[in-house]
Amino acid sequence: MLTVALPKGGLLEDSIRLLQQVGLDFSAFLDSANRQLEIWDASRTAKALLVRNYDVPVYVEYGQAQLGIVGYDILREKQPQVAHLVDLQFGRCRLSVAVKESSPYRSALELPPHSRVASKFVHCAHDYFQSLDLPVEIVPLYGSVELGPITGMSEAIVDLVASGRTLKENNLLEIERLFESTARLIAHPLSYRLNQDGLHDRIEQIRSLTSAHVPA
Amino acid sequence: MVYQPPVGARDLFPLEVAQKRWIEERVQQVFHGWGYHRIITSTLERLETLMAGDAVQPSTVIQLQVDEQVLGLRPELTASIARAAVTRMAGVTHPQRLYYNANVFRRALAGSHNRQLEFYHAGVELLGSEGGVADAEILLLLADCIRHLGIGQWHLVLGEAGLTRSLLSAFPEALREAVREAIANLDRIALETLPLSAELRDRALFILDLRGRPADVLQRISSLDLDAQQRATVSNLKTLLDLLQESLTAQQHPQFSLILDLSLIQTFDYYTGIFFEVVSSGTGERRILGRGGRYDHLLGLYHPQAETYPGVGFVLHIDDLHQMLLPTGQLPSRTPPSHWLIVPVSNQAYAAAFTYAKKIRESAHLVRVEMKLKIGEPADKVHEYARRRGISQIAWIDDQGLPQIETVGQ
Repeated sequence: MLTVALPKGGLLEDSIRLLQQVGLDFSAFLDSANRQLEIWDASRTAKALLVRNYDVPVYVEYGQAQLGIVGYDILREKQPQVAHLVDLQFGRCRLSVAVKESSPYRSALELPPHSRVASKFVHCAHDYFQSLDLPVEIVPLYGSVELGPITGMSEAIVDLVASGRTLKENNLLEIERLFESTARLIAHPLSYRLNQDGLHDRIEQIRSLTSAHVPA
Repeated sequence: MVYQPPVGARDLFPLEVAQKRWIEERVQQVFHGWGYHRIITSTLERLETLMAGDAVQPSTVIQLQVDEQVLGLRPELTASIARAAVTRMAGVTHPQRLYYNANVFRRALAGSHNRQLEFYHAGVELLGSEGGVADAEILLLLADCIRHLGIGQWHLVLGEAGLTRSLLSAFPEALREAVREAIANLDRIALETLPLSAELRDRALFILDLRGRPADVLQRISSLDLDAQQRATVSNLKTLLDLLQESLTAQQHPQFSLILDLSLIQTFDYYTGIFFEVVSSGTGERRILGRGGRYDHLLGLYHPQAETYPGVGFVLHIDDLHQMLLPTGQLPSRTPPSHWLIVPVSNQAYAAAFTYAKKIRESAHLVRVEMKLKIGEPADKVHEYARRRGISQIAWIDDQGLPQIETVGQ
């Protein structure tokens, strides 16, 4: 039996559409009346778990789900022991450093040493500033990170930027890009090696769908 | 907080000990049956001893400062056994067959919460023998252990670290480590994005996918343009697989699934030949029940004149076996009850009671005899006690030292 961990939020719709194309229908998750966290495919050979995006690699790492779909940003942040199989090309965004528009700083290196940087991505932020050899205090936040500079708690933030609209509406300015992120198909390494229940075939089906849209 | 154990440590109570011993005794019987002898090495080792083989990172070792030395609690046994055995290899006949059953310690990584620190390992090392027959002995011994634990279905994922390393030598040195790391971590996306030529990228993805039924995988490897050394390794691997298959069939050993997986490698040069993992099957969480392989360069690291000897072995993870076997109902569900309860009826009867108990214990077989320490309890209370503890026989000892024997219905 195959279990797939799917992320709540922005990647869900594209993930479900992709799986539909390989014959796995979990569209009930998109029904706003749905409260179920576990849904079986009509063929009852596969099921999906609906979890927070941060938790997708956890279920896959521990093997409760053989496959999962999650953003590269979270894989970079959490460094889970999972197999990275396919770049699914959707959910494109970037992890960036932003400051207030009125701030005098226009690059990360201009930030004064020991300034505060608010972020949900504490490891990515820490690694980035360490690579610049710039000592900063990382302030962990769980949401609405933009409020960090607005309230004056932090000089800068490290956060995901897709269209840039949220930054603009909050009078923030993107000054550095750490990396690009897209959704990834990941697998539990042991299950991937054992390849039971046609796991490999499913992965190859998904890969062929994705590569069809990518210029070689 | 004196009443709490350290974070990540745990105590084993008699029932858990009985279950753990059930596993260890079965495994040890098999080790003895194959002519292996137990070695006990020090729990503490110099940090450099533990790290010499490159397989251990200092961050995973619990370290202690003793006088001027930095010592570590062993995270595995092979380094200790290699260190202990190699200096005495010259005088002894080869091969040496050693086994161990011991606790190991691993420091929890930052960010893990209450992760277990102490584990139990049982394993073997076959030192001083190279070649496929020694590899076959280790794999057949492993299969025998698992059969004796009553595990019907399992997977053996088998790689050849030396062959894969040799296939990776085609990659430019600057990128070889990155390619190896990506293959070891099954990171296909990293391989696709590394700055490799199209030909080398295909080669890297080919190695990543060298996995499946042994016959198919061997055929795929043979399609590569191999040098003489690589061809010899492939041929030896085929001989080993044939020997395994033939032996298991002749012994009517229950079939387990064998996956040949040339992408099964580690990011450090420790194993030089076969490398394998034992994976649990069936429902429930998949666990790595054990792993092992051939390490022909390790012993030389511990020899004063750097003389090296080949070695091959495996370790079984007792904690994972315990977790996996628990729901199967094979492990003992209670500690063994006493056979007898000796009840002195008065203060004058204590000496006679101890003497009577001693007499019953002197039997060819183990007889478990416990004393009722408190006198003067009514008979129905004593019966109730015996019933609850699963004791079937009560001997009442009177002032004259005469026993009155009673059988308790359960």
